[in-house]
Amino acid sequence: MNILTQLVLSGMALGMIYAVIAFGYQSTFATSGTLNFGQGEALMLGAMTGLSLTGEIMGGPYLNYWLMVPVVLVIGSLQGLVVEFLAVRPALRIHSEFGWIMSTIALGIIFRNVAENVWGRDDVPFPSPLPTTPVHILGANILPMELGVMVGALLLMGLMELFNRRTLYGKAVVATSSDRGAAGLMGIDTRAVIAFSYALSSLTAAFAGVLIAPITLTGASMGSVLGLKAFAVAIIGGLTSGMGAVVGGLILGIAETTTGFYFSTGYKDVPGLILLLLILAWKPNGLFGRAAVQKF
Amino acid sequence: MGCLVARRFKSFEGVRRVKFRGSWLWWGMALLGLALLPREINEYYIHQGVLIAIYAILLFGLDVVVGYTGEVSLAHGALFGIGAYTAGILSTKTAWPFLATLPASMAVTAFFGGVLALPALRVRGPYLAMVTLAFGTIAQILINEMDFLTNGPLGISLQKPDLWGHALEESEYYYVVLAIFFLTGFLIHRLLISRFGRAFEALHGSPVAADCMGVSVYRYKVLAFVVSAAIAGLAGSLFSFNELFIAPNSFNFELTITFLLALIMGGRKSRLGPVLGAAIVVLLPNILDDIQLFRWLAHGVMLGVLGLFLWRGWKQGWNHWKSWIIPGIGALALEISSHRLQDMTDWRLTIFGALILFVVYYLQNGIVGWLRQGKPAVTEADFPLSGEGAVQPVELERRSVAQTTPGPLLQVSHVVMSFGGLRALNDLSCELAPGQILGLIGPNGSGKSTLMNVLTGLYVPTSGEVRFKGQRISGKSPTRIALRGLARTFQNLQLFGDMTVLENVLIGLNHRYRSGMTETLLHLPRFVREEKAARARARVLLDFVGLAGEASREARHLPYGQQRLLEIARALALDPDLLLLDEPAAGLTSAEIERLIAVLHKIKGQGLALILIEHHMDVVMSVSDQVMVLDSGRCIASGLPHEVRHDAAVIKAYLGGGEEAQHAGN
Repeated sequence: MNILTQLVLSGMALGMIYAVIAFGYQSTFATSGTLNFGQGEALMLGAMTGLSLTGEIMGGPYLNYWLMVPVVLVIGSLQGLVVEFLAVRPALRIHSEFGWIMSTIALGIIFRNVAENVWGRDDVPFPSPLPTTPVHILGANILPMELGVMVGALLLMGLMELFNRRTLYGKAVVATSSDRGAAGLMGIDTRAVIAFSYALSSLTAAFAGVLIAPITLTGASMGSVLGLKAFAVAIIGGLTSGMGAVVGGLILGIAETTTGFYFSTGYKDVPGLILLLLILAWKPNGLFGRAAVQKF
Repeated sequence: MGCLVARRFKSFEGVRRVKFRGSWLWWGMALLGLALLPREINEYYIHQGVLIAIYAILLFGLDVVVGYTGEVSLAHGALFGIGAYTAGILSTKTAWPFLATLPASMAVTAFFGGVLALPALRVRGPYLAMVTLAFGTIAQILINEMDFLTNGPLGISLQKPDLWGHALEESEYYYVVLAIFFLTGFLIHRLLISRFGRAFEALHGSPVAADCMGVSVYRYKVLAFVVSAAIAGLAGSLFSFNELFIAPNSFNFELTITFLLALIMGGRKSRLGPVLGAAIVVLLPNILDDIQLFRWLAHGVMLGVLGLFLWRGWKQGWNHWKSWIIPGIGALALEISSHRLQDMTDWRLTIFGALILFVVYYLQNGIVGWLRQGKPAVTEADFPLSGEGAVQPVELERRSVAQTTPGPLLQVSHVVMSFGGLRALNDLSCELAPGQILGLIGPNGSGKSTLMNVLTGLYVPTSGEVRFKGQRISGKSPTRIALRGLARTFQNLQLFGDMTVLENVLIGLNHRYRSGMTETLLHLPRFVREEKAARARARVLLDFVGLAGEASREARHLPYGQQRLLEIARALALDPDLLLLDEPAAGLTSAEIERLIAVLHKIKGQGLALILIEHHMDVVMSVSDQVMVLDSGRCIASGLPHEVRHDAAVIKAYLGGGEEAQHAGN
């Protein structure tokens, strides 16, 4: 029983990470109908730059964890702007779906390959900012960082909701997502909004990277599967529903930790991906998403 | 000369067949050169040559999905791996002979291709790309983890392939692969120039229109994936006998990216493109290994970009200098990195990524597309229509000349269509007799197009039922409804833009074929007969709407008015009993409207039943037998055209309800 509680709590921490990354997918999808296939690499870059600042890998530590986070967020959003400028904007200009799919994939592998050459191909541990002795909750041993992950993820998602609802810029984003054409006619610079959504999306991914790094290993290849599973979460919840991302994240995180324990860690990524295939085959708008009526 | 034209015209594939014959000589010479090659080069390069052929085989298959159906597949690395592992496992664990493992691998990967395509019923584009990525990831995990079958990370070592007791040397294996390469290329070519290739292209052009033309999107998408996967399996099994060792990490995401790069760089929708692309991605690592060669390449790119920039600027002015910023930075980065780095091998993926970006934005049609630029492929315009032997009388054909079941052709009873709280159709009932022409009018948002979508199966009504020729069609798929003889056009044009005018009509004629894939690949008599008949029929239909001279133009290059007429011709190709026209006159000039009215009268003269949604009253009033007026999802009036014109409720709906409006009506 205790084992199960522990698995569920660890799964929740993992699930919140997925939810944060899924939020990133949702924000770009809402404004431009595009997705960054290199989202996992944005996460990896966040984790690696974070490690360079707080760890010894690049001759550091230069900053402690808490001071490092804002720096990583800035770098993450810059990376998002690069992706938008190089891969998405030209494709949207020529209305090429194939274009943005291929070019975000291409940028993703470039980022990964550069990271491999800069930081090496091995996975390295990330120093935890919180004590590494487990605390006892409900009879389970939980790492303080796992709780930190949940708190951090909820905080970020709460701030994003608040931004969307309470600020004028947030309203511009919401307006652009509901009708890009009309928003443009109302004087909203939709291109800037799209660029902003990419910055935000990579920022959330980078944040997820520094959150998850202390409880896993950090390395150039850490992002790709995380990015894919976060997409699964975004799909399970529905690409238009923030609540869906959280629920989807929890489902997937818990499914993953339990599979890893009861079957084999080698198979831990499988249930999420199978779930993705099933949801797309059965309910492509997700559990919480609403289907748009297609007009012909 | 005339005789020559006539004889060449008998070639039923018209343009494409001729094009293929023209290049037949080149392919033959290439075959000869490749056959003699092993005498000249050493074993290492023979090995590379085999690899190029294997990649090219895979790319022929990948092109079916990526080039023709327009979907991005990120699973082909994994499918290739599944094929390789099937061959590896069968030949090491069960000692199957080499030649038997090839079809077995194809069968296994074809199965997985089918599984992969199952979600394709609901999703496309980025979603489908993610599905394929997830599939590829799962496959790699399973290959890695199922060590009882695959030996896990240790991999499998194979014996040299064995042909009738003789172990093949590298140069002998080269000939085997070369033969398979040419055979695959030949068969795939035949498939893609046939109705199957056209159907695949149509899925990309407009899935909705394909469904409504009786070409089931789902069926053909699954077929495309199955064919593509089977070829990937073939290539994979050949690969494992070439390398003689396979391990899970050979079939990772990078391999998939390599394949995609090769395909889009070589050129999609072409047989030459895959060969060029395969050669580039196989040989590129050799270039990267040689840093000196790479530096020369960087110099070349730098000078090339600079030269092009200056030349363009001199020719066309300097206003576009901004668009040269990114290429300039790219070339500069290449130049600097070629001097800073001693070893490019580690940067292979970065180079691949940069190449993908380059191809996606500057070389969209690949090398083959670039070579063809400005020099259009031989088209059917090269063969004057007068060469077409006897001109057939223009006559529409219908499924059932005599009504098999008595009663109305179409019967709509109590149909309700709700979207959330909105009732777009509110308890609507109507009937249509065979051969009758119904004009459907009403203000915007009154439910006219919704009714069309319900009739053609795109929407399933919330309640009520639709019967067509006595049978219930509500709830049936658009494809089945279309095949039963109900055709339509679209308010927002849904042509297959990249296909020629003739091919657009041929999609509508897809239902006439009885020959299957084997007959198509082998060009058996029935297929040849049907293809000839379909092409002749398509020309008749184009002639019917007055587009005979445009047969070989790409549909998207037609003027707007002609695009509308093409949609009508395509719908007529279904040999419908009932044709639905959704605002055919929208956006047309008055001259074009006159042409349209003439075509509508011709259709009417053939006794075809018609439902016509239109805002141009002159069109509606001159063609319709009956007019029905919709408002807020209800029928507010119906009757003869002149009766409806004076109906008080109609005038109120259009002009708003006031006393004046009613007076105006009187």
